[in-house]
Amino acid sequence: MNNVERFRRSALLFPVFLLILTTIYLAEALSIRSQFGGDTIVGPRFMPILMAFIMYAALVVVIVGEWRKEAEAAAGGSLLRPLLIVVATGIYIAVFRPLGYVPATLGFLVALFLIFDFEKQRPALFVFYVIAVTALFYGLFAGIFGVRLPPLLGGF
Amino acid sequence: METFVSFLGGFEALLSWEVLGFMIAGFLIGTFFGAMPGLTSVLAIALLLPITYTIDVVPALVMCASIFMAGMYSGSITATTINIPGAPSSMMTAVEGNALMLKGQGANALGHAALGSMIGGSIGALLLMAFMPIAGELALLIRTPGKFSLVLFALVVIIIVDKGAIAKGIVATTLGIMLATVGIDVLQPIPRFEFGTELLVEGIGLMPVVIGAFAVSEILVQAQNWNLSLESTLKRAKGLKIRRRDFIPPWSEIREVGFFTYIKSAFIGYAIGILPGAGGSMAAFVAYADAKRGSKKPEEYGNGSREGIAAAESANNSMCGGAFVPMLMFGIPGDPTTAIVLGVLVINGLQPGPRLIEQQADLIAPMFASLFVSALILIPLTLFLFGPYFIRIVSISRGLLYSAIAVVALVGSYVATYSVFQMFLALVFGVLAFFLRKHNYSVVAMLLGFILGPDLEQYLRRSLSFNDGNPIVFLTSLDSLAFLALTVVFAYLILRKKPKLDAIP
Repeated sequence: MNNVERFRRSALLFPVFLLILTTIYLAEALSIRSQFGGDTIVGPRFMPILMAFIMYAALVVVIVGEWRKEAEAAAGGSLLRPLLIVVATGIYIAVFRPLGYVPATLGFLVALFLIFDFEKQRPALFVFYVIAVTALFYGLFAGIFGVRLPPLLGGF
Repeated sequence: METFVSFLGGFEALLSWEVLGFMIAGFLIGTFFGAMPGLTSVLAIALLLPITYTIDVVPALVMCASIFMAGMYSGSITATTINIPGAPSSMMTAVEGNALMLKGQGANALGHAALGSMIGGSIGALLLMAFMPIAGELALLIRTPGKFSLVLFALVVIIIVDKGAIAKGIVATTLGIMLATVGIDVLQPIPRFEFGTELLVEGIGLMPVVIGAFAVSEILVQAQNWNLSLESTLKRAKGLKIRRRDFIPPWSEIREVGFFTYIKSAFIGYAIGILPGAGGSMAAFVAYADAKRGSKKPEEYGNGSREGIAAAESANNSMCGGAFVPMLMFGIPGDPTTAIVLGVLVINGLQPGPRLIEQQADLIAPMFASLFVSALILIPLTLFLFGPYFIRIVSISRGLLYSAIAVVALVGSYVATYSVFQMFLALVFGVLAFFLRKHNYSVVAMLLGFILGPDLEQYLRRSLSFNDGNPIVFLTSLDSLAFLALTVVFAYLILRKKPKLDAIP
């Protein structure tokens, strides 16, 4: 395995991503100013800076360990299905308020049932379960627990 | 003694229809989630966390306790019947229970698992009630430097408990602490890491972290490993015939296992429950290994040992009682379930500590009673009533199940604050936790770092500010020194000892 291939492994990319996050976090931590008492060891930026350095040290150990590994252990199936779920969830969150609970949840469940291959061969059951699950949780949240769920098309 | 008596008063609260209803509902939900491979009681409590905003604290805590106990026991159902542990803590039960299942004694194995869980869970709950007042007295002696060292001890144990991945444990714990620093500073009214948006000024709530880490990430993990083989295994198992009368273990078998095994395993489980990060799996494993070491019939282990089932189940259910001790006394949760219960307390304005026991025992005593009643009555009752249908119940399609969980998780994260931003945070933390799990970083360590981070920072800075920034205070304060010494001892014991692989047949 050459160095470029090694670097592309997700086991190595993930700690590198955390390393970048830690750098952003540290830069922000350094800009924190104490309201009183100066930026001493007991100031509000002490802990974040300390944590950032501990994180750097631990990530270096992890990255070196991952770099030395020859082959990546089998890490499960394709990322396509989780990616589709993340996209569907993102859309659900975006339309949850504007469309309202009922249409947004109906659409979300259609997407999830398709992703999970649930009752795709039996359209009548598919539609039944989509409506039943939406109604069930509407009843649970709004009916039993009195939660105000977003109304249809934002109340119009 | 007075406090212990007030704990016994918790049983009275269970006589209310509302509280009793939540306890039974919680137990049934916990049984389903614990039995279903891929679902856990932690997920059940995480999904129900938003609901606790809309109900009183007593039924909320009672429900959490019954879910915890049910989830710990019900992992043994699919472990025994189809050799797939419903929960990680049922690994040992899968080894022995399924061996008995293959010999046609599955119902008998389920009966022994239920009996072990019943005895262990009851002893754990009684030990919790008995020792809580003593723990409360001890907690009063700990001052600020000691509290810092205690939190540090908890975090160190959480990290080193997975000794094969200590660096990753540090990364996960530190990540949790870093997330907890977002928002207003613990000692000064200064917003930190809000990145110019008002949405982050108040910090990140426990709810999106819990729902993301345990619900959203679970859906993503299951989606990645999606295959229909488990579905077909469960469908095949639907045909298994289990009769009610076979659930009751014969007296001769109980005597053969020996009451000492049940009681000793329960004490082991309770002690391990007190340790942060150890959990039911370690409790079951240690008790199982100990029972095997002292067994008169070690050759039965791996081939269907009832003693092995009794030890493992007794210990993992007793662990439930132990896990509440550090959470209620010091705000240090021993495992993810108690971490979420801590969230329920905080949501309802209750602060863990000795004063909680002294002044608000009436609020937490029903939770202890729920642990006890769930173990002593609901475990055998559920097995007897629903035992023959367990496999049918857990054979529900996973596509339907995970889709429903996704809706509950996201709508649940919305209902607490009526904020779509919380839903978005739940998704972000779900994706983060998915990658953490995929690369073997502990999500539990991240959660506990997130929960304990503010305490760690607050006690550290307070101790230092009272002593002109001199860290020697952590060595000159006796309670602090004791916890630092304990940290060193635990680190030595855990890191030095090689795992005994021969304990697993």
